[in-house]
Amino acid sequence: MNILLVIRMLSSILLVEAASMIPSMAVAWAHGDGDVLPLLYTALIILAFAVPGFYFIRPKDKNLRVREGFVVVALAWILMSTFGALPFIFSGFLPRFSDAFFESVSGFTTTGATVVTDFGRMTHGIAFWRSFTHWVGGMGVLVLTLALLPKLSDHTSHLVRAESPGPSLSKIVPKMGESAKILYMMYFILTLAEFLALIVVGMKPYDAAIHAMGTAGTGGFSNYGESVAYFQSVGVEIVMTVFMILFGINFAIYYFIFTRSWKDIFSNEELRWYLIIVALSIILLTVFLIPYYGSVSSAFRYAGFQTASIISTSGFATANFDLWPVPAKMLLLLLTFIGSCAGSTAGGMKVVRIAILLKQGKREVRRTFQPRKVQTIRFEGKAVDEAMLHSIALFGFTYVFIVLAGAFILSLEGKYDLITNLTASLTCVSNVGPGFGAVGPAGGFSGYGPFAKMISSFLMLAGRLELYPMLILLHPAVWRHT
Amino acid sequence: MFQIIGISGGLMKEVDRMRIMVVGAGKVGSTLADHLTKEEHDVVVIDNDPEVLEKCQDSLDVMCVQGNGANMQTLVNAAIDETDILIAATASDEINMLCSLAAKRLGAKYTIARVRDPQYQESLRMFQKVMDIDSAINPELATALEIGHLLRFPFASNVETFAKGKIEMIAFHAQAQDAIVGLPLKDISAKNSKIPRVLYCAIQHGNKVIIPNGNSIIEPDDHVYVTGEHNNIKEYFRTLRGNRRLKNVMIIGGGRISYYLTQRIIMDGMHVTLLELDPKKAQRLSDELPHATVLCGDGTNIDTLEQEGLRNMDAFICLTDRDEENLMAGLYAMRSGIPKVVIKNNRSNYSDIIASLGLDSVVSPKQITSDYILRYTRAIANRHGSSVEKLYRLLDGQAEALEFVVKEGNDKFLGKPLRDLHLKPNTLVAVIVRGDKIITPFGNDYIEAGDSVIIMTCERGISNLNEVFR
Repeated sequence: MNILLVIRMLSSILLVEAASMIPSMAVAWAHGDGDVLPLLYTALIILAFAVPGFYFIRPKDKNLRVREGFVVVALAWILMSTFGALPFIFSGFLPRFSDAFFESVSGFTTTGATVVTDFGRMTHGIAFWRSFTHWVGGMGVLVLTLALLPKLSDHTSHLVRAESPGPSLSKIVPKMGESAKILYMMYFILTLAEFLALIVVGMKPYDAAIHAMGTAGTGGFSNYGESVAYFQSVGVEIVMTVFMILFGINFAIYYFIFTRSWKDIFSNEELRWYLIIVALSIILLTVFLIPYYGSVSSAFRYAGFQTASIISTSGFATANFDLWPVPAKMLLLLLTFIGSCAGSTAGGMKVVRIAILLKQGKREVRRTFQPRKVQTIRFEGKAVDEAMLHSIALFGFTYVFIVLAGAFILSLEGKYDLITNLTASLTCVSNVGPGFGAVGPAGGFSGYGPFAKMISSFLMLAGRLELYPMLILLHPAVWRHT
Repeated sequence: MFQIIGISGGLMKEVDRMRIMVVGAGKVGSTLADHLTKEEHDVVVIDNDPEVLEKCQDSLDVMCVQGNGANMQTLVNAAIDETDILIAATASDEINMLCSLAAKRLGAKYTIARVRDPQYQESLRMFQKVMDIDSAINPELATALEIGHLLRFPFASNVETFAKGKIEMIAFHAQAQDAIVGLPLKDISAKNSKIPRVLYCAIQHGNKVIIPNGNSIIEPDDHVYVTGEHNNIKEYFRTLRGNRRLKNVMIIGGGRISYYLTQRIIMDGMHVTLLELDPKKAQRLSDELPHATVLCGDGTNIDTLEQEGLRNMDAFICLTDRDEENLMAGLYAMRSGIPKVVIKNNRSNYSDIIASLGLDSVVSPKQITSDYILRYTRAIANRHGSSVEKLYRLLDGQAEALEFVVKEGNDKFLGKPLRDLHLKPNTLVAVIVRGDKIITPFGNDYIEAGDSVIIMTCERGISNLNEVFR
């Protein structure tokens, strides 16, 4: 382990985190309802750690190996979440560390699960910081660091590979730093577009910013206890539905729009799968909900919003879907597993993996009755090699296993029923936010004890970083001195 | 087009940032990709093998595209129409040529292909013309030429050529007993009328490079760069260091490099003894090289070497396929007192260790190939629309030798005597080549359209002849 290099990279990431507190401080100051100082103190504490590391540690060996890459990513996320929790503690809003840490992890991992019960006590600055973590965490803090700071090491692809969602890394342009800049530029433009659209449909600018950031990172924090249902506005729901679906799409697609490579967009197989899944789910959900709501139009309205919210792993709610008919709830549960496209800000297993797993399943069925048939699995028009198939199958298994193991550990607290624990674990790993039962849209994670909150935080981090970076930390060989 | 590139574009003023496509991620391909990314170019690597690409993706900041480089779809997917230079360095000559052809047709600005089979060597010019390949490199031939240079000037540590080979630039270590040491440069020819006039274009003292003037003094152990015509330089070294021309050369290993090398040094009047283990290969070499003594035997066997008169040799060159054997045989020859020992070694990681053993003449075809291509891309990057023909960097770019071809136009320096022009400090007009005439310029000489001009400078980033004059 090249400790010096790891420290230096972590320091530079923390520098970016300190800088990312500036907008929240500005908002807190502008609204004048307090909590500028908790943010300022946190930023100063972060700087006290990061500045010496950034300016004085000059590792001779700048070679970032795979091992260090993964460790940097995992530690960066843990450190960021820890420091990100400080404003909640300092402001007295969430005085207990386990609560504050959970909220911070939930923010950065864009889960949107919350332990907040009393939304009225949340000041503007704290609420803004809470949602800003969604925005930064959505595209990735390392990506942001790469975009903002000069080149740290020659092998930054390990970092981005560990942080960006999807089975394989695809760059937009040859240079990693530039890819990162382009990604953040597009991310910013799309967020700005949603912010403006929300103002047009009648939101206050502050609420619009909170919800635009929540949608962009596919997080789901709202500054109201009722979530989006607070607004009771069809316009707001339409805008958010559209943007939630948009933020579930691979950002490379938006770059293709800039470069006018229309062919690349239409031939994108994952995008096709994603849009088909979205459309089918909306139709099915509408059908399931007609008896519940009594009219096609309102069934469609709630079905559309909730489908987009769950598949994009945002987790906003316009209705207490825990009370919906069971088939509707099952469908939402399925969508929680799937998630959105690779290379988006969303969580879940990703459409590309689901699609390839389905194709693999089909191949296996065929093989049992026609073993001699040579079958290649194709995706995006190219044969997927066996190593990739293997790793995707294993990822699928690990995902399910972690969800089940997480549910088991959560159940040890003995507080809730099977559905609550199971969906709590799943919603954390998939970074969605609400589950069913006590953790449903009307509830939250506040009922869990500190132990369960730490476990849930681990599950959220594991889900955001696509399992392995967090699991690597648990492997003793990584820490051996070689 | 989305122009975010502009943000960092300002940082790279020295050379144009180019989009370069490297086809074939083998040793040469990946070395090139590495160097080119370090020079801030945008690099796309194409290879057929996903495993090789995986490694590339992990270790280099490049974009990787899987596919056959000669396949149109692959090239289009990799945005060939926006590519400045395509470098085809796959294992197959045919793919390299096809790939260059396709790339040129699809919009690449320059193409470089590696073509190594001697069978294609004669028709290479035709291929190059028909397929519009801007530069073709044969690693074995280039290596042979490099060894040839080292043999012609045994003292030289480096030999560069300019103006299509008419001008040579030689680097050598000055020794205390050399007649040029300790005198101001302007007095050298006055004191020693026998020493032919050559141009001293750079002196490296310790880690510092200076562009000398008449008052500069060469000290022992300085690294001196001189330029001039081949015959002139030859004569210069003969008077300086005595007539130590190499006559008897022994080569072990009968590969392509040995073939090209033997062919060339025989023309210089050297006698070549070539050892090859494989009887069939030896037979063929003997057919192809009637003037060389081709022996069938193990060149790494000390007995064989002694039997065949190793001790009478002036130079010993190890070109077998195995780096280790080259090294061992080379060390033995050095200990037997052979004045010039050259070995081939492809593992660049070990070059320091080999140098510490006392073997200073080590050639690596891979290194030569990637150096050649790098230099070519640098020249293109430096072009800015003007015409740097060749660029050679001394000591990590502390000084540069640049060759310009002067175009028609109304540049202020055209036709003016040099003494009326003001050169930038630390800059020297080293040679003017006009047709077949080679001019070592003095105050009365002038530059005309069509001339090739070689400039030595410590200034960086000169890309246009106008920038040389104040």
